[in-house]
Amino acid sequence: MNENTCVLAAEQLVYRYPKRLEPALNGVSLQLVRGQAVGLLGPNGSGKSTLINLLNGLRAPQSGHITHGAERKAVVAWVPQEYAFYPDLSCRENLRFFAGMLDLTTNEATRRVDAALSACLLHEFAEQRARHCSGGVRRRLNLGIALLQQPDVLLLDEPTVGVDPQSRSFLLDRVRDLMRAGTAVLYATHYMEEVSAVCSQILLLDHGRVLASGALDTLLRGEGDVPFANLEALFTHYTQRGLRD
Amino acid sequence: MTNPRHHLSKLMQLVMKEWRLLLRNPHGLAALFLMPSAFVLVMSFTLKNTLIVRVPLPATGWVLEDKSPIAAQWSREWLARPDMKSFVSRDALKAALKARQIDAGIIVHAPWLGDDGRPRTEAVEMWLGNRVQPAAAARLRAELSFSMLQVQMKIAAAEAGPFASVLLSSAASSELLPEHGAPTIRYLYEIESGRTMTAVQQSVPAWLIFGMFFVVIPIAGVLIQERNDRTLTRLTTFGVSPGQVLAGKLIALMLLNWVQLAFMLLVGRVLVPLLGGDALNLSIAYGWFLLMVAATSAAAVGLGLLIAARTRSFEHAAALGGGINVILAAIAGVMVPRMLMPPTLQTVSEYSPMGWALDGMQSVFLGDPDAAFILPRAALLLAFAAVCLLLSWQPIRHQEPA
Repeated sequence: MNENTCVLAAEQLVYRYPKRLEPALNGVSLQLVRGQAVGLLGPNGSGKSTLINLLNGLRAPQSGHITHGAERKAVVAWVPQEYAFYPDLSCRENLRFFAGMLDLTTNEATRRVDAALSACLLHEFAEQRARHCSGGVRRRLNLGIALLQQPDVLLLDEPTVGVDPQSRSFLLDRVRDLMRAGTAVLYATHYMEEVSAVCSQILLLDHGRVLASGALDTLLRGEGDVPFANLEALFTHYTQRGLRD
Repeated sequence: MTNPRHHLSKLMQLVMKEWRLLLRNPHGLAALFLMPSAFVLVMSFTLKNTLIVRVPLPATGWVLEDKSPIAAQWSREWLARPDMKSFVSRDALKAALKARQIDAGIIVHAPWLGDDGRPRTEAVEMWLGNRVQPAAAARLRAELSFSMLQVQMKIAAAEAGPFASVLLSSAASSELLPEHGAPTIRYLYEIESGRTMTAVQQSVPAWLIFGMFFVVIPIAGVLIQERNDRTLTRLTTFGVSPGQVLAGKLIALMLLNWVQLAFMLLVGRVLVPLLGGDALNLSIAYGWFLLMVAATSAAAVGLGLLIAARTRSFEHAAALGGGINVILAAIAGVMVPRMLMPPTLQTVSEYSPMGWALDGMQSVFLGDPDAAFILPRAALLLAFAAVCLLLSWQPIRHQEPA
């Protein structure tokens, strides 16, 4: 695959939950390109999680479609906001278990576990039960489990919630490393500075609709003569200041 | 392309994961192993004299207020028995009962013989200590009545003249008290199996079933965490189907039930006799036994999965699961043997999964099981397991919140 190759594209996705009048997603389109990160922004309940669930195949859209790159079906990995692993298993046992769920030879599974431990600096905590690890280590383990899949597309759902600045900086560095290695990233967060630091594209959702999408630089320039001071100003311009929950 | 070897390896890893998590859950293990063992020990000793018909007479104090020769001879023969003591007054008897030196007291009022020369039942008063077992008290009362009847018969025979007197004067003519005052009684289980019915033989299967159903605690601990932390959802993105998740849990927890079984058999076979109780008799029909354990295990794990799948928090599942298990156990006759229940409750117990399990298991451990008795109960348990699994499938399949 070349740089700028689209590995996963969504077109006009519509999804409505049962017994809900309003669709959770209404005509959302998106392209995830190799080596590029798209910042997924929106207030609570805007449809970010639904979009992620459609992209990782957990739900099927009622209309619209998702297409994979022309060369092969993209491997999509997901890093949920929750610590989605077993707290009573050690970091290594968690990684081994999830590697065991993939169709890999024993040697390949071991290699990927070691690679994940190295990439997320988890060797020191490998034998420690996840329950006893700090928030930062748990976030790294959460990411490490997704890396076992060697993904073409990485869907990150608020991956830095509750960690200290050092761990946040480490996680952002790892995301940049993955992008350099050619992984396409969708980065959902409420932290605007993280989007500014990692993403070149943004997709701003509210009430299931796209409010703004495109290159971050272009969007920051604004439609009139006055550019937005920062991403937060752009965000509140589109979504207003009213509380959502 | 699906690879069967990979599916098998995936399933094994899921089972191993459940086992690792179980072994790291001390509270769950305590509920599964220590709790039923403690119940077996306590109930084996508590019910020891309730289930055995040959209950020993309680240690009894006698106060003889009637000094007539016949009353004196009658009470002397009673006092010659083991654990019988004579007291000079009611106060002394009361003090001994209070100090628990004796368990019961007999006061023979004056006059013991009525105007017609026969012993008067109302002239004999029985006092019971607060801890005397009802069965022991019942035996004392029965033997007292019987021996008074004997006295009455001897007096009647003596009055009837020389011929009757000769007929009744056997070698024991001087004895007013018979050596064996009660007929031999046997339960149907004992007649069928030729084994003596002991409390441990009744307690081990009963509390094993109870312990097996407590598998809901470790199931809920893991499943609810997996769901709330979205680990189940993550497993889906790793290509693990809900069916594989359920199968992994079912296999791991049914294996755990077999470990529980081995542990409980050890308790009954080794620990109970070590502490002075009867040993569990393992001369049983193993084919029927294995079928009943497998069916009971499937029902227990099925119910555990259903409760865990349909509750939102571990606290909710533990309270609901524990409550349901205790109610099911009470209805089924696990806590109190069915023979002590009133007939209506005995009928109700036939409609409970633990009741089906207990019927089958007790037939194996106490009686002589056959296909006509075991198969319907095993089938009911397996059907119950299937319904539970079916009802837990839906929430496990749709774990994502809307």
